[in-house]
Amino acid sequence: MATASQAATPPRSTMLGVRLREAGWGYGFVAVPIAVFGLFFVYPFGYALYISFFHWGILGKQAGGAGTFNYDKVVHDPVFHTALKNIAEYTLGVVPLTMALGLSLALVINQKIRGRNFFRSAFYFPSIASSVAITTIALYLFNANGLFNHIIGSKTPWFQNAPTVMWAIVGLNSWTSAGTAMLYYLAALQSIPTDVYEAAAVDNTGAWRTFWRITFPLLRPAHFFVLVIFGIGALKLFDQAFVVSNGLGGPNYSTYTPVLYIYREAFTTFDFGVAAAAGVLLFALIFVLTLAQRLTVGREEAA
Amino acid sequence: MTLQTVAAADPFIPRRARSEVARKAFFYAVIVLVAAIFFVPFIYTLTTSFKTLPDAANVTFIPHPWTSSAWHTIWTQYDFKTYIKNSVFLAVVVTVCNIFLGGLGGYAFARLKFPGRELLFLLVPGTLMIPDQLRLIPVFVMLTNWHLIGNFSGYILINLVTATNLFFMRQYFLTIPKDFEEAAKLDGAGYFKTFWRVMLPLALPAISALVILQFQGTWNDFFWPLILFGQGNPAHYTIQLGLAELDFQYTVLWPQICAGSILAILPILAIFLAFQRYFISGVVSAGVKG
Amino acid sequence: MRKRLGVILGLLIAVVLLAATAQAGTRTHKVTNVTLAGWSSGPDEDTLLNQVIAKFNATHPTIHATFQVINGDYPTAMTARFAAHNPPDVFYVDSSVIGAWVHQGVVEPLNSFVKASKFDTSAFFPKLLGAFESGKTIYGFPKDWSPLAMEINKGMLGQAGGKAPTSWAQLQSVAQTMKSKNVVSGGAPICLAPDWARMLAFVYQAGGSLNNLSSPAAEAAVNFYVGLIKKGLAQTPQQLGVDWCGTALGKGKSAIIFEGNWLLPFMKSTYPNVQYGIFPMIKDKTGGNLAFTVSYSMAKDTPNKQAAWTLLSWLVGKQGQTLWMSKGLALPSRKDVKAVGGRQNFLAAAPYAVGWGFGNPNFSTAYTVMNNDLTAVISGGKSVSSMLSDVASALKG
Repeated sequence: MATASQAATPPRSTMLGVRLREAGWGYGFVAVPIAVFGLFFVYPFGYALYISFFHWGILGKQAGGAGTFNYDKVVHDPVFHTALKNIAEYTLGVVPLTMALGLSLALVINQKIRGRNFFRSAFYFPSIASSVAITTIALYLFNANGLFNHIIGSKTPWFQNAPTVMWAIVGLNSWTSAGTAMLYYLAALQSIPTDVYEAAAVDNTGAWRTFWRITFPLLRPAHFFVLVIFGIGALKLFDQAFVVSNGLGGPNYSTYTPVLYIYREAFTTFDFGVAAAAGVLLFALIFVLTLAQRLTVGREEAA
Repeated sequence: MTLQTVAAADPFIPRRARSEVARKAFFYAVIVLVAAIFFVPFIYTLTTSFKTLPDAANVTFIPHPWTSSAWHTIWTQYDFKTYIKNSVFLAVVVTVCNIFLGGLGGYAFARLKFPGRELLFLLVPGTLMIPDQLRLIPVFVMLTNWHLIGNFSGYILINLVTATNLFFMRQYFLTIPKDFEEAAKLDGAGYFKTFWRVMLPLALPAISALVILQFQGTWNDFFWPLILFGQGNPAHYTIQLGLAELDFQYTVLWPQICAGSILAILPILAIFLAFQRYFISGVVSAGVKG
Repeated sequence: MRKRLGVILGLLIAVVLLAATAQAGTRTHKVTNVTLAGWSSGPDEDTLLNQVIAKFNATHPTIHATFQVINGDYPTAMTARFAAHNPPDVFYVDSSVIGAWVHQGVVEPLNSFVKASKFDTSAFFPKLLGAFESGKTIYGFPKDWSPLAMEINKGMLGQAGGKAPTSWAQLQSVAQTMKSKNVVSGGAPICLAPDWARMLAFVYQAGGSLNNLSSPAAEAAVNFYVGLIKKGLAQTPQQLGVDWCGTALGKGKSAIIFEGNWLLPFMKSTYPNVQYGIFPMIKDKTGGNLAFTVSYSMAKDTPNKQAAWTLLSWLVGKQGQTLWMSKGLALPSRKDVKAVGGRQNFLAAAPYAVGWGFGNPNFSTAYTVMNNDLTAVISGGKSVSSMLSDVASALKG
C-alpha cells in the first residue's frame, strides 16, 4: 500500500523519464518486425511504384521516359475491368460465408459436447492441405461426371463453366478457410470471461439472446481481425483461379483476378511497368476498403 | 420465463426430456454428417494411394488391385524422408520466430506507448495488401545480391515475422485486462520481463492458434521455396516441392501424389492435435476471478 | 520452460546463421560447373535425361553439368533468375515464348559459336530450327518435337465402319455414324480441346495462316471446328468431365482425338488396356499441322559461355539426341537420328507442321486472348469474326 501512494504523485521529470523509457522499449520490441516489413514489403512496393511510371522489362528500364501511360493502359483495359468485377463478386461471397461458417463451428466446438477433439479436428481438416492439392481434388470431384454431379444428377462442369466457376471457388475456399476462421474465433471466445455467461444465466437469458446480445458484440476485435485478414486474402485471390484455368483466367475471363492480371503482365508479357501499375492500383483499392473497415468495425480500439 | 416456471411445476418431466434428447440427437447427427463430409476427400486420397496408376483413374473407394508400391516409390525413388526433414526444420524455425517476434511486437503495439505507434501499425495490415507476385522480383534480386539464395536462410529471413501473426497477437493482447500488467509493475518487473513472464503465458490460446496456423502455412508454402531454394536442389526440397516432382505435364502419378499428400498432412495433423487442447484453458477467466 | 524456449530460440538463430555462411561456393578447379534447367513431362523423362547428362559428364572431364528440374512454374522461376542476373547456363525454351525472351534480351545468339566450332546446322529440319531463329540469328537448337496426329479407339472405329477419316468431310461422317449408332455411350465421338493449340492446325488445313486471320479460310476452319461441337459430334474435355482429351480416350469417353507424341507414354502408363491406333492428321485443302518444340538455349548472362556451348551442342548433336530419342518420348529434330518405331504417322506431318509460337514476341499474351475468346465462341457468347480480329490485334502487340 505504501508503494501505491508513492506512485500516486511522481515528480514531472520522472514521468518524462518513464515515458521515454517506455517509448524506447516500445521501439525496441517492434524493431525487427518493422525491419522485416520495411525491407521485404515497403521497399518492393516503393520499387513497384517507381517502375510503374516507366517502360520496364526483365533486364530493367527500357526506352521511353517517365509517364502515366502504364496506369492509362490498366485503367482502360477491359480485361482489368472484368478482373475487378470478378474479384468483387468473389469477395462479397466468400468473406461473409467464411466468417459465418467459422463462427458457427467455433460456437459448436466451444460447448461441452462429446467427442469435442474429434469434431474440432474434423472441422479443421479441410484447412490443412495445401490449396493446390485441395483444388486439384475439387476439380476431380466436381467435374461434369464427377461424384458431386452423380449425387445431385447434374451435368454442369462447375469449375469450367463461366457463370458458375467463381461461385464454385467461393464454395471451395469458404469450406477450406472455415477451419482457420474457427480457430481465430475459438481463441477469441476463450478470452471472454465465464462470469459474463454466468451473469446472463442468472438473468435467465436464452441461448440465442446470449449469443446475439453478449457474445457477438464481445467478439468485435475478432470480427475485425477476421474481416480484414480474409477480406484482404480474398481480394488477392490467385492460386485457385490459376489452377482452375491453367493460368489463362478462363473460361472467357471468368476467373481473371487482379493478381492474375499482374502475374500475366509480369511473367508472360514481361511488361513490368504495367504489372506494377496494376499492383499499385490494387493496393490502393485494398487500402481504402480496409480503412473503411477500420473506421466502422474496428472503431472500438482507437481508445 | 413463464414457460420455464410452468415446466418446472409440471410432473410430466419425461416429455420435456424426450424433446431434449431428440434435439440433441439431431444436433449430433448434423455435426457427424458435416464431419463426414469434411473427411471424404481424405479417405479418397488415402485409398487412391494404394491403387495402381491405371486403377487410380477410376472413381472408386476400394483399390483393385491393392498395392503399396506408391508408398515404396516415394520413400525410395523420391527422397521424401529428406523432404519431410526439411519441411519440419523450416516450419519449426519460422513458427518459433513468429511467436516470439509477433508476440513482442503485438504486445508493444497493444500496450506500450510510443510516438507514431498508430501510424507504424498501419504498416502491418499494409504489408498484407501487397501480392506476392508483385514483390517477387525485387525481393529475389535483393536476396540474390546478398547470397541468400539456394539455401534456407533467405526464406527464413523474409518469414521471420508476418503481419497476420503480429496483428493477431496485438488484437489478443488488447482483450487482456490491464490488471496483470499493473500487478507486474508493482512487483517491479521491467518491460521485457512483463512480456516474457506475464503476457506471453496469458496469450496461450492465441499462441496455440498461431502455432497451428504458422506451422501449416510454412508447411504448405510452395511458391517461395520454389523460387528461393527449390530449383534443382533436391537436398533442400520441402515436401511440397517433392510433391510437385510427381506432377508432370501429362502423366500425373496419382497414387504417388496421394501417398505423398497423406505424408504431408500427417505432421500438421499431429501439431493440431497437440496444440488444440490449449484452447480449453480458462487461464484468463481464472485470472480475473482470482 | 520459458528459459528453455529462449535457449532453443538462440540455438535456432545460430543454426540459421551457420546455414547461411555454409554457402556452397563455386569450386574453381579446372572443372567448370554448368547448369541445365528445364521441366519434366513424365517420370521416364527424368530418368532418361539424367542418363544423358551422366554420359556427357563421363565424356567431358573438364565440365560438370547438372540438371535442375523446375517443376511448378518454370516461366516465373526463370524470369526471376534473369532479372537477378543469375540464370542457368543452358535452359529449355518453349517455341511459344522464344520470341518474347529474345525480345527481352536474355537469350544469347549462337551464330559465333556455331561458326567457331563448325557445328553442322543443316542436320536439323529447317522448319524446326526456324522456330528459334530471328532472321539469320540462331537463338536455340530444337531438342525434339512433336506434331499432332489423329488417335482413334480401334474398337469404336470398327463399330463405325473401320475406315479412318482422311478429310474433314470424312471426319464428320464417321463421327455422325458413331453418334447415330451410339458407339461412344456417355461421351462424344470426337474430343476437341477449346484450345488454339489444336484448332490452329485446322486453320492451316483450310489454307489459312496465323498472319492472315481475316481470311475466309480462317473463318471457315473455326466454324468447322466449333461446328463439330455445336452439332453434338464433338465435346470439349470439360464437357466430358476430364482434364484433357488423352484422358477422354483412355476412359472411353471419346473415340477420336488429336494429340501429339506425348499421348503415348501417358496411355502406356495410365490406360494400358485401351486399344487405339495412330493415324495421320486429317487434311482439307492441304495438310496443316503444328510443330510443338522446345529448344536448348544459352543465357546471355552466363559466365561460362564456352562450356555452356559444349554442353548445348553435345545435347543436340547426333550422339546426345540419339540417346535422348531411345525411349521414344519425342521425335528427333535432326534428320540423321532415327525415331523409335511406330511414329511414322507423326513424322508424316513434318512437311506441313508450322512452329507453334511463330517467333512472335506477343504470342504468349495473344494466347490468353485466343483461348478465352474461343471458350466464349463455343458457349455462344462471341462471334467468330470478333475473336479473329481480337487475336490479330493481340498478335500485333
